[in-house]
Amino acid sequence: MKRYLPLLALLAVVIFVQLLTGWTETGFYLTQLTMSAYYSLVIIGLCLLMGYAGQISLGHAGFFAIGGYTSAILTTHNLTPMKDQALVVLLAKVGCLVASKDEYGAELLVAQPWVACLLAVTAATLVALVLGGPVLKLKGHYLAMATLGFGTIIYRLVLATWLCGEADGISSVPPFQLLPGLTVSGGFGERISNYYIAWGLVVLFMVLLINLVHSRAGRALRAIHGAEDAANAMGVNTARFKLTIFVLSAAVAALAGVFLTHYNGGIGPSEAGIMKSVRYVAIVAVGGMASIWGALIMGTLLNFLSMRGVFGTYDDAVFGAILIIIMLFAPEGLLRLQLWPRLKELKKSWGGEK
Amino acid sequence: MKKVLNTVMATMVAGAFLLPTAALAETIKVGAILAVTGGASFLGAPEARTLEMLAEEINAKGGVKGNKIELIIKDSGGSPEKAISFAKQLIEEDKVFAIIGPSTTGETMKIKQIAEDGKTILLSCAAAEVIVNPVAKYVFKTPQKDSDAVKWIFEAMKEKKISKIAVLTGNDGFGSAGKAQLEAAAPEAGMQILASEVYDKGATDLSAVVAKLMANKEIQAVVNWSIVPAQGILAKNMRQAGWDVPLFQSHGFGNIKYVDASGAAAEGIIFPAGRLLAPELLAANNPQKAPLMKYKADYEAKFKEPVSTFGGHAYDAFKILCMAIESAGTDREKARTAIENIKGFAGTGGVFNFSATDHNGLAHDAFAMWTVKGGKFVPYGK
Repeated sequence: MKRYLPLLALLAVVIFVQLLTGWTETGFYLTQLTMSAYYSLVIIGLCLLMGYAGQISLGHAGFFAIGGYTSAILTTHNLTPMKDQALVVLLAKVGCLVASKDEYGAELLVAQPWVACLLAVTAATLVALVLGGPVLKLKGHYLAMATLGFGTIIYRLVLATWLCGEADGISSVPPFQLLPGLTVSGGFGERISNYYIAWGLVVLFMVLLINLVHSRAGRALRAIHGAEDAANAMGVNTARFKLTIFVLSAAVAALAGVFLTHYNGGIGPSEAGIMKSVRYVAIVAVGGMASIWGALIMGTLLNFLSMRGVFGTYDDAVFGAILIIIMLFAPEGLLRLQLWPRLKELKKSWGGEK
Repeated sequence: MKKVLNTVMATMVAGAFLLPTAALAETIKVGAILAVTGGASFLGAPEARTLEMLAEEINAKGGVKGNKIELIIKDSGGSPEKAISFAKQLIEEDKVFAIIGPSTTGETMKIKQIAEDGKTILLSCAAAEVIVNPVAKYVFKTPQKDSDAVKWIFEAMKEKKISKIAVLTGNDGFGSAGKAQLEAAAPEAGMQILASEVYDKGATDLSAVVAKLMANKEIQAVVNWSIVPAQGILAKNMRQAGWDVPLFQSHGFGNIKYVDASGAAAEGIIFPAGRLLAPELLAANNPQKAPLMKYKADYEAKFKEPVSTFGGHAYDAFKILCMAIESAGTDREKARTAIENIKGFAGTGGVFNFSATDHNGLAHDAFAMWTVKGGKFVPYGK
């Protein structure tokens, strides 16, 4: 039970913040808090992969983009010209498609957002499976490079594909109705419900993660992180565990991509860029590699600041600098920065030189 | 315990950002979302500088109708998600009077609906026609239309009896929009596109592409549509390969840096652009002459870099907004209607004539054809 206490605290904070913004009439903060909740989802997924399984990925923006773009394409690509084809008729009959009129009165026949969401997450899962198999055999820098390559490929594909809108990305992505009365949309009137959708998703995923970390699988992961060969010798199927976590974190990134794309009403190539992947890794590092709470707090905070434009023109530079500084001075993460013993150590070594 | 502590910290941090913001009286807040950094900084940086310069100038004179302008520039880095976040922030939080920008079509299309919902005037500095066609009530744009640039190029080709061409485009938004326009307009203009190549926006050498195209002896001219340094590189590579067919460029070539970079190879390049490139050559009675001369002189004196047509788009947007406030006061709805009633405003992009159905306000003649002679832009032909 003790392990769920912080979760309750998180829930309380989420509700408290919403009430506070309502009371102080600063509800507009919820917009960026919602966006950072979705980015935090990617980050805690990546934290599981990096901190617990000990595998780096510089391609997670790629999975986010696969999710976002797949959903965006399916829910905006008009199938009306093909509506007499057998497959399209069949899909419409089973309820996978929705017909409507666009704002200019033209007929619109697109995929149901639920169907699009499922397909998007499935697509990312499959890509992660195919990629993870060979790539996770690599270690250290080589794994980083291979995933970096994957991220670059996705970015280039998005830029070069007509379906993905090339450099302009995809606009006019419709809202995603989860349940009647509960819709993922960026409308000014739906800010509060969307804040709760986003944070509800985060809490849900945290429950899943906490359970995973404290299970047999979690112990196996830490064993892999500590010494992969030893874990292997002790009978842990290291290859399978690594792949499972890789796929899981990719699927979560894709899910976050789907939700944020519907929330924003569009997606652009910047979501697939290398700087986005570096940013995710930097935030996991700041939070302390193996601390999902640290990753969540830092993910929310830094994305919130970035989305509000606090870093201005130095946005990307800030995240690059953070990564370097953390790696040099606080490899355990900012929240675990044990300043006092470090200072003592420093003092001692200086004293020794004299 | 540590976890609990972490959570407490999260609360405190979240609380710190929820302080209420105070509103300032008697100033008009104008937001600007521009790609000052990132891949589209060649657009956003001059746009931001221009706006800063103009706001300073107008505030020194006492503001518009006594109202000072407070400029809030947000750097989107060309990322749509940031543009979305900033647009909501400017509308809901800063309650801006109007938004200038974004610099790119992709970003503009993503915040078009937000501006409509927030009933906030949006003056886009991006080129694509979809921004204003179909017309959205609060959305305007200042750059000329891509399709008009294509018309000018094809007309100039017809005069030279050219009908078989090769098309080269960059793989960015500007390039792909241009490619679509060229392909759409070619059949009607009697042009035959024999080859079409897309290159990376960061390309540093195009000699392979040139060699491939050169092998096709039927090609009478090359049209290049991009906004990147590759424009000058292409000219160089063609000259090095000894290929002497005429080279046409898009209005993206309107930056003298590219001419300087390609030296003698740039001679004879033909392209359409606004009249900001050489206002001193305009006739004295041209309505654009005086404002363009002033903008060019002011900008170049203040920032020590040659003026570009992109900064001009922000210049036009700012001036149009000021005109609207001047005639309609600080009521947003009235100012929006006032923009639709602006006629005969001579800006950098051309002479604007807005209406309820035309939120761009520029006609075919906003462009003029230019060529490079002696390392300078000069009017082409006739």
